[in-house]
Amino acid sequence: MISVDPWLLITIVLGFAMAWAIGANDAANSMSTAVGAKAITPKQAVIIAGILEFTGAYFFGKSVTETIRKGILYPDKITDPTVLIYGSIAALLAATIWLVAATKFGLPVSTTHSIIGGIAGYGIAYAGLGIVNWDKMAQVVLSWILSPVIGALMAYFIFKALTKSIFESGNPVRSARIWSPFWIGMAFVVIGAMFYIKVLHGSDLKTGVIFYGIPLGIIVFILSYFLIKVRFPSSDPYIGVESIFKKVQVVTSAYVALAHGANDVANAIGPVAAVYAVATMGLAGMQVPVPRWILVLGGVGIAVGVATYGYRVMETVGKKITELTNTRGFTIDFSAATVVLVASWLGMPISTTHTVVGAVIGIGLARGVKAINKNIVRDIIISWFVTVPIAAVVSAIIFKVLMVVG
Amino acid sequence: MQVWTKLFAKSPFKPLIKHADVVLQTVETLEKALRLWYEGNFEEMERVAIEVDRLEDVADRIKEEIRDSLSSKLLMAVAREDVLVYLHMQDKVADAAEDTAKWLLIKRPNEIPADIKDIILQMGTESIKAAKLVHEAIVQMDRVIESGFTEKEIEREYEIIREIESVESKIDGLDTRLMQLVFEKENELSWGDGFYILNIARTLSNISDKAKDSAERIRLMMNK
Repeated sequence: MISVDPWLLITIVLGFAMAWAIGANDAANSMSTAVGAKAITPKQAVIIAGILEFTGAYFFGKSVTETIRKGILYPDKITDPTVLIYGSIAALLAATIWLVAATKFGLPVSTTHSIIGGIAGYGIAYAGLGIVNWDKMAQVVLSWILSPVIGALMAYFIFKALTKSIFESGNPVRSARIWSPFWIGMAFVVIGAMFYIKVLHGSDLKTGVIFYGIPLGIIVFILSYFLIKVRFPSSDPYIGVESIFKKVQVVTSAYVALAHGANDVANAIGPVAAVYAVATMGLAGMQVPVPRWILVLGGVGIAVGVATYGYRVMETVGKKITELTNTRGFTIDFSAATVVLVASWLGMPISTTHTVVGAVIGIGLARGVKAINKNIVRDIIISWFVTVPIAAVVSAIIFKVLMVVG
Repeated sequence: MQVWTKLFAKSPFKPLIKHADVVLQTVETLEKALRLWYEGNFEEMERVAIEVDRLEDVADRIKEEIRDSLSSKLLMAVAREDVLVYLHMQDKVADAAEDTAKWLLIKRPNEIPADIKDIILQMGTESIKAAKLVHEAIVQMDRVIESGFTEKEIEREYEIIREIESVESKIDGLDTRLMQLVFEKENELSWGDGFYILNIARTLSNISDKAKDSAERIRLMMNK
């Protein structure tokens, strides 16, 4: 860059603000089950989430970024580069405003929905309904509906399998020694496979699972097997298993944070990357790789959000949820992270929050949670449907104002 | 996002256990009253019987509280109707104990044959067992949910339920024996004393009947 475009600077600031908002309330969700089940303190959660959200954003956050930027609007219909600049600013600002407002009202909204709404909003304000790729939009909306459903199904079956394998046997302590490492290993199979796909840019899921996931899973299985063999925490199988999973939950919640960073960083930096492309190449809709420093910006923004505001959210969670045991927390984390990572491999922008909520409901349906508040579930569902239109309208208004002023 | 703190509602099981605590206390206090009655210490007996009444009131209040907090807005591991009916049954155990206390207070009996008094005291002791088992059953139900409805915990719960049923049938046997005794001795007893004894026996056996009903409801909670 020879000279820094002032609009690019503004976009960078807004992108950082958006990343901060994601860290402030979304990242708290990724860690909340671990904090709620008393596996980690809010302070530890902040440190883990900060580091791993950054790692996820920096190493894993690439293809999803592309999807959001290129997928929702037809870029070839934007001929004027300034439109892309103003639009990206409008989308970021609208999404950030909506997120902050929703957080104030305690409404569970998704950052992914917000930014997609924002992008669609300025697109429609500029060129009418024709500019939106409705097929992509439908796919995105579908994935929002699917993500909680799949999250619920996964959690349901994993919870059933986990209780069956450990608690149902004649000797729970013995089966816990074998099965706890198995489940921990399984979690690492997914992590390993995703590492191959995301970091090494492998395209074949099978290769990832066979050459990366399974070896890593086996190593972790053997390690944890011997750790548990040496010292089983308690004579009571329940207390023992729970305390094993208490430790495992630290790992799985880290895994959720990683997946969340990989998936949701795109919401903040997608528009920044778009503006950067215009500023450096002068052309809208060019296929450019997202530069590393933009990923760093997103990652740092999320980490700062976790540290400044997310901390308070997690403290509240830690004080209030007592209905969640560690095995349930593990199940929720494991299911949610798997769904989110697979979705991010498929390039589908889905919401971590909704996958986690889906997983909680799934365990509820498996009769694993004593009581879930149906009203809150209803609020969540309503929030899915209002977020996109609201962000779109706000973004459209900001965009129009910018076009007039600018 | 505070959604997490709101998503998980308070489970009704801890309050149900609290209610069972009070029910058990009510039945235990009644047994104390029966013992004093057996010894002929009527002054003291009346004081203790009034305490039974007070404890039953406390149980009622906890019941109301649980009812009010169990809105239909919860997704629970067990059906809300099952919980509410169970609570109703568990509360009836305390009600039955209060009924017996009422009969103890209604009059001071003349001389009652020792064998009749023995059976009544025995029925009282067995009733406590039933109430204790109900308490155990609801604590175990909590554990069943905690374990994610594993076979082992469910099996343990069924054992407790079977024990309740066997206590109930034992009391039934005592009750029948007592009725026969009253009519065998009809010439020694005034009609009033006979009526009084039979009613004490009837209300006492009611305690274990209600305990059995509670156990039935727990069975329903586990079958889905």
